[in-house]
Amino acid sequence: MPPVLEATGIAKHFGAVVALSNGSLSVGKGEVHALLGANGSGKSTLCKIIAGTVARDTGSLRLDGSEVSLRTPREAEARGIALFYQELSLVPQLSVADNIFLGHERTGAGGFLDARQLRADTDRLIARFASVAGTGFTADAPVSGLAPDQRQIVEILKVLARKPRLIIFDEATAALDRRQVELFFAILRELKAEGVSTIFISHRMDEIFEIADRITVMRNGATVASFASSETDRDAVVRSMVGDVGIRDRVERAVPPSSGAPRLKLKGASSRRVRDVSLTLRPGEILGLGGLQGQGQSALLQGLFGALPFASGTLEIDGRPVSIRKPADAVRTGLAYVSGDRGRDAALHGRSIFENIGSATMVREKLALVWPRHLRPRFEAAAAALNTKYAGMEAPIGSLSGGNQQKIFIARWLATDAPVLLLDDPTKGIDLAAKADFFALVRNLADKGTSIIFYASEDAELLSLCDRILVFNSGAVSAELAGASLDSFHLTNAAYGEVA
Amino acid sequence: MSAVAGFLRSRLWLVTLSALMALFVVNWILQPNLVTPNVLKSNLSVFLPVILVAIGQTYVVLGGDIDLSVGSIVALVNVVTVSVIAALGGGAGGVLGGIAAGLVVGIACGLLNGALVALLRFQAIVTTFATGIIFGGLALMVLPTAGLPVPAEYWRTYGSSPLGLPVVLWVLIAALVIVAVIAGRPFIKHLAAAGGQRAAAFQTGLKLAQIRILAYALCGLFAAFASLCLTGETASGDPLMGRTLALASISAVVLGGTALAGGSGSAFGSVLGALVLGMIGNVIFFAGLPFDYQTLIQGLITLLALAGGVLVARRN
Repeated sequence: MPPVLEATGIAKHFGAVVALSNGSLSVGKGEVHALLGANGSGKSTLCKIIAGTVARDTGSLRLDGSEVSLRTPREAEARGIALFYQELSLVPQLSVADNIFLGHERTGAGGFLDARQLRADTDRLIARFASVAGTGFTADAPVSGLAPDQRQIVEILKVLARKPRLIIFDEATAALDRRQVELFFAILRELKAEGVSTIFISHRMDEIFEIADRITVMRNGATVASFASSETDRDAVVRSMVGDVGIRDRVERAVPPSSGAPRLKLKGASSRRVRDVSLTLRPGEILGLGGLQGQGQSALLQGLFGALPFASGTLEIDGRPVSIRKPADAVRTGLAYVSGDRGRDAALHGRSIFENIGSATMVREKLALVWPRHLRPRFEAAAAALNTKYAGMEAPIGSLSGGNQQKIFIARWLATDAPVLLLDDPTKGIDLAAKADFFALVRNLADKGTSIIFYASEDAELLSLCDRILVFNSGAVSAELAGASLDSFHLTNAAYGEVA
Repeated sequence: MSAVAGFLRSRLWLVTLSALMALFVVNWILQPNLVTPNVLKSNLSVFLPVILVAIGQTYVVLGGDIDLSVGSIVALVNVVTVSVIAALGGGAGGVLGGIAAGLVVGIACGLLNGALVALLRFQAIVTTFATGIIFGGLALMVLPTAGLPVPAEYWRTYGSSPLGLPVVLWVLIAALVIVAVIAGRPFIKHLAAAGGQRAAAFQTGLKLAQIRILAYALCGLFAAFASLCLTGETASGDPLMGRTLALASISAVVLGGTALAGGSGSAFGSVLGALVLGMIGNVIFFAGLPFDYQTLIQGLITLLALAGGVLVARRN
C-alpha cells in the first residue's frame, strides 16, 4: 500500500531566500510522524506546502500514490489534509461552536443556520474528547473568555471537526501543560487507531519519543534523515539536526569578562510569556539567550526594558534594587535596547539621523524641548565608532540602508553610555558584511566593560559571540551552557529538552 | 461584577433598549399626545432613513470596515430615481422604473466601495470618504439644483396605510425581516469572523473579499431604501439630501452595541441605536432647548457609548 503522503524533492524560495531546497517526507496510514529541525530548517515551509497555504516551486506531492497539486488551502482540505495553526486561527468574538464550524456551518431549509444541529455537533465533539476538553467551556462560550490552553483545545477540535485523514500539528502542545499534553496524546492515539495520520512538530524531544512512530529531520532546507523512533535515540537525532560541521566555532574574547560583582541581577521574573527567570550579568559579559524562536527570549528583554513589564520578580543593578515599569525608566537606569525589528521598534520615520540618534539621550539626560546641538560631536563620534555611512546628520533616516540604519539605532544607545545593552535578535535582515561589523562592535563594547544580553535566532551567532548561553524553552530557562558545553550539539539538545 | 459585564458584553443592545425606554417615557411626559397613531407615524417617518442607513452600516462595520459614503449614496439614489421617473414620463410604470434604477445605483455604489476596499485593499475610511465626494458630485451632475417633483402616486402611496398600517411601518417590518434573514445565515458568522480576526478568517479558508464586498453592497442597498423613503417624504429631488446620514448611522451603530473595530454587534442593535438618536432629538425639542443642543448631546451620547464599549471589553 502506498504511503498516505509522499513528498519528494520539494523546493521553495521567497525572493532570493531559499526556504526549502530538497524537502522529502513519507507518512504512512495511521502513522504519527515527527518532523524536526532547527529554526529556519524548512519544516514549517514544507508543512505549509503540504497544507496548500504556500505553493511549491518544484517537487512532487503524492496522496495514496497519485500526484496532486494542493495549490490552495481549500484544495488540501478537500483532500482531507488539515493544518493546525500554531498562531491561533480563532475569532475571539465568536462562540466555541461558531469557531469550530466556521466556514463549514450546517444549514437547514432555505440556507438558514441550524443552531440546534451546530450545538449538538459541538457537544458531541466536546464529549468525544471530554477527557481533554474537560468541562472548562461550553459550545456557547465566547472564545474571548477562554484561557490560552482552552483556546488551543478549541483549535484542535476545529481541526478534528473537518474529519481529516492527515493532520499537521505545528506545535500543538506549546501552550499545554504536562497533563494536557498526555490528554492530547490520548487523542492522537485514538485518531491513529482510526487510521488518521499525523505530522507532529514539537520542540520537546521527550514528547517526540513518546508519541512518534517515525522521525524525519531537516537541516538547512533539506531532509537529511528519517528514523523509526524505536530504532534510534535522542543523541542520534540531535546529531543529524546539527550536522557534522561547525560544532564549535567560538571566537575567544580579547578581554575576558570581569569576575567581580554582578552588574545586573534578575530574580524570579515572570510575565505572560516568561516563567520564573533568574539571571546575573557581570561587567563586560556577553550573555546569550538561546533556544527555539518565541520561547520567551524577546519577552525577557522587553521585560527588562519595561516594554512588557514583569508581573513579578526583582531586579538589581550594581547592587541597588530598581523598578522598571516603562521604557523611560529603563533608559534612565542605564539600559539600552536594540531590536532587529527596525521599522516597528526603533525608527523615527521621516526624521533626521540626528534626531534618531538623539532620542534616547534626550530621555536619559532628561533634556526636553530643545534639540541639544552641543551633543552633536558626541553623536557623530557614536556613529563613527560604528563605521556608519551617511551623508550628514540632517539626512532622513530612510536614506540609509538597512544595515546602516541598524548602526544608527545602536549609535543612539552608544551616545547614552548605557552600561547594559539588550540586543533582541539585532541582525535580522542585515547583510553579512554589516553583521561582521556589528559583531566586532559588540565584542569591542564588551571588552570595554559594557554588559550585554544577546538574543539571536541563529545559533551560530550566539555560539561565536557569547561567554555564556541561557537556553529557553516555553518561557523558562531550561539549561545554562558555558565553557566546554558551548557548542551546537549542546545548544540544540537543550533547546529540545524538557523544562527542568 | 464581571458576570454582569460578561452578560452585557454579548447583549449591549439591552443597555440601548433601556435607554430607549427611558427616553420614550420622558418624551411621553413632555409630549402627552406621543402615543397616538399620527404622532407615532410621523416620528417613524422621521427616524426611518437613519434606521435603514444604520442597518446597512452595521454590516460594513461588523466586517471591520466603515462606509462614510452612505450619505452621498442616498443623494445619488434620490436624484437618479426622480430623474428616471421624469424621463419615463411618470405614472406607475415610471415610478417602478425609478425605484428599480435607484436600487441598482445603491447596490452599484456599495459594490464599488467594496471592490476598492476588499480587492484593491484601500483603507476603508479614506476610500469611502473619497467615493462619498464622488457620489455627491455625480448627484450634482444628474440634478444640479433641488426640485423636479415626483408624481403624486409616489408620495401618496408612501403616505398611505395599506391593511390598516402605514407604509413607513411596512417598510420597517420589511427591513427587520431582511435583517432576520441575514442574521440566520452563515454569512453573518463569516462577516463577524472577517471583522473580528481577519487572519483567522483567512486561515479558515473564508472568502474574505467576497464577504466584505457583499457587506458594502448591503450597505448600498439599505442606503437606497433610505433614499426612496426620504423621496417619499420630500416628494422631490435634492442632490444635497442625506448629508448628515453617514455620521448619524455610525452613531446609531455604536449606540446599538456594535464594536467599531468589527467582529461583534447586530443590526437590531443599530435599529435601537437609531431610535435612541431620534428620541434624543424629540426630547430636546419638546423640552424647549435650542436645536443646537441636539447634535451636541447626540455626540456626547455616542462618545459615552464608545467609552462604555471599551470599558466592558477591557473588564473581560
